[in-house]
Amino acid sequence: MTLDVVVVDSLVKRYGPVTALAGVSLAVRRGEFIALLGPSGCGKTTLLRAVAGFVEPTSGEIRINGRPMRGVPPNLRPVNTVFQQFALFPHMTASENIAFGPRRQRLSPAEIHGRVRDALAMVGLEGLGARYPRELSGGQQQRVALARAIVNRPEVLLLDEPLGALDLKLRKRMQVELKRLHQQLGMTFLFVTHDQEEALAMADRIAVMREGVIVQLGSGAQIYRNPATRYVADFIGEANLITCQVDASGAVQITPNGPGGPYRMPANGTQQVSLMVRPESVRLGCGAGADHVALPATLKDKAFVGSTYRLYLVLADGQEIAAEPGCGREVDELAPGAAVWVHWHKDAARLLED
Amino acid sequence: MRFTSANAAFLMLGPIAFFVLFFLAPFGLLIAESFMRPQGGVTLSNYISVLSDGYYWNALINTLLISLWVTVVSFLLGYPLAYFIVFHVRRPWGRRLIYVLLMTPLFTSNIVRAFGWIVILGRRGIVNSSLLALGLINTPLDILYGKLSIIIGLAYILLPIMALSICSVLQTVDRSLIEAARDLGARPSRAFIAVTFPLSLPGVVAGSIIVFALSVSAYVIPSILSGGREMVMPILIFQQYAATFRPDIGATLSVVLLAVTLLLIGSYLILFERRLRAVG
Repeated sequence: MTLDVVVVDSLVKRYGPVTALAGVSLAVRRGEFIALLGPSGCGKTTLLRAVAGFVEPTSGEIRINGRPMRGVPPNLRPVNTVFQQFALFPHMTASENIAFGPRRQRLSPAEIHGRVRDALAMVGLEGLGARYPRELSGGQQQRVALARAIVNRPEVLLLDEPLGALDLKLRKRMQVELKRLHQQLGMTFLFVTHDQEEALAMADRIAVMREGVIVQLGSGAQIYRNPATRYVADFIGEANLITCQVDASGAVQITPNGPGGPYRMPANGTQQVSLMVRPESVRLGCGAGADHVALPATLKDKAFVGSTYRLYLVLADGQEIAAEPGCGREVDELAPGAAVWVHWHKDAARLLED
Repeated sequence: MRFTSANAAFLMLGPIAFFVLFFLAPFGLLIAESFMRPQGGVTLSNYISVLSDGYYWNALINTLLISLWVTVVSFLLGYPLAYFIVFHVRRPWGRRLIYVLLMTPLFTSNIVRAFGWIVILGRRGIVNSSLLALGLINTPLDILYGKLSIIIGLAYILLPIMALSICSVLQTVDRSLIEAARDLGARPSRAFIAVTFPLSLPGVVAGSIIVFALSVSAYVIPSILSGGREMVMPILIFQQYAATFRPDIGATLSVVLLAVTLLLIGSYLILFERRLRAVG
């Protein structure tokens, strides 16, 4: 337990009739990089702001280093935030922005100077300390915002969609840098994003949120391979979600009147389930052996996306699935309307209750 | 759609014509007049006689001092008011209501409002009779007909302008900057001093310039609330035209007043220039 630097315990936040957080519990380990992932309005930013101290929870508790945070104002919490639009003070230079926190801690001028210099070096902005924010590019402003937060050596660094304001290329580069910074500092990062790719690229663990609750918490690979619900499967990565029927024996039928598939549901009365299979697991051809599921399909459309073709196929019952079978010649020659067989290894698919 | 410069120039014709006809031309005549003898001929004698006369200097300093105080008072009252409106009135209709309430006094005549202050500040006015009744004073205070009553009267009229000017800038201060300051360890008071206030300075500067300029040129309030005991430049200038029939001296006084005011506002702007540039 001593490893958990932040503990969120059944946190609820209501704004009048609107529930932003509906009982969130989360334990953040020291030194961990956690991403809070979800669409806008899922409560991820509210959760972050509650940890920062800008949102007073309706009920539940937040403990940082074991200390309850109820009633503790933001300036007295051992956390710092990197804001969405950077929130740099426009009337202060980069150095003055970074020195703002250390000055509040009443450190000696020499100590402040040293820390500011180190922080600037850490984010690769040596020599730009005298510039005003408006004289810096978006990426540089982002780095100043980072430096301004880490210079205080917080227990937890809170990042509120910090890359959202940057263009795609810069965003990718900052992802790598953030990850490097995290390893270098050994600091705990709590990172809010709606971009699943960003979360997968950086976080040790991802908390997928929906409508004020965490629906799944785990490493990116775990969540990608074993999504807990249809919602998570759809949100993380691309997923084919095929609606299936469960017959009396508990066998799952992938297409109506088709043979009972290799999948079995525990007999808990569920009539309908979704079969989740990632496009990259769907192959062309009949497959081999009982470990494969094979279905006839018709090619509806195909698109070249660089490393692979993306095929849009229609199953016999009209459901559409996507496949990414690579760039072989057989795929090159396929034309829309062609009748093909698709298959996947049965372990590549997951049954999800609706 | 973009305006070509020809189009823009055409659009500007109206305002330029208005400006030339009703400001630049009369102003030129005024300056010319200040350099003329009553019987004709160019001279500096008007300026010499104005600038060598302690009475005029006295009125000028009096005017500037009163205007300075009006500016300070309306800032001290206007800033908290603006802060309250922007940060504590959440509902849009509530804010609109306060704006309307602030503007309403501007729809009534200055004369009526000046007489209102006579009722309040006079020897038998509300202030004195309450203080007497409470036993806080034994004889009525001499508030009316002095610098104090002029300052009160002007600050009261100009306060909405100061408050609205500060409001308009305070509204644009990004709340996340204030949160960032708090997040970095600043108490609310420190966040205000280090972030909110510096960022609202453009509103304060604009408001003070307008209030100062309007105070310097105010005629009605000083003439009613001075009771003849205080002399300010607008009254003095009016007298030159209406009582002593010395339009040349009136013109000279106007030019001197304008020059001094511009000089003061100019140095004020230079004083804040660096900070304003950083904010803007």
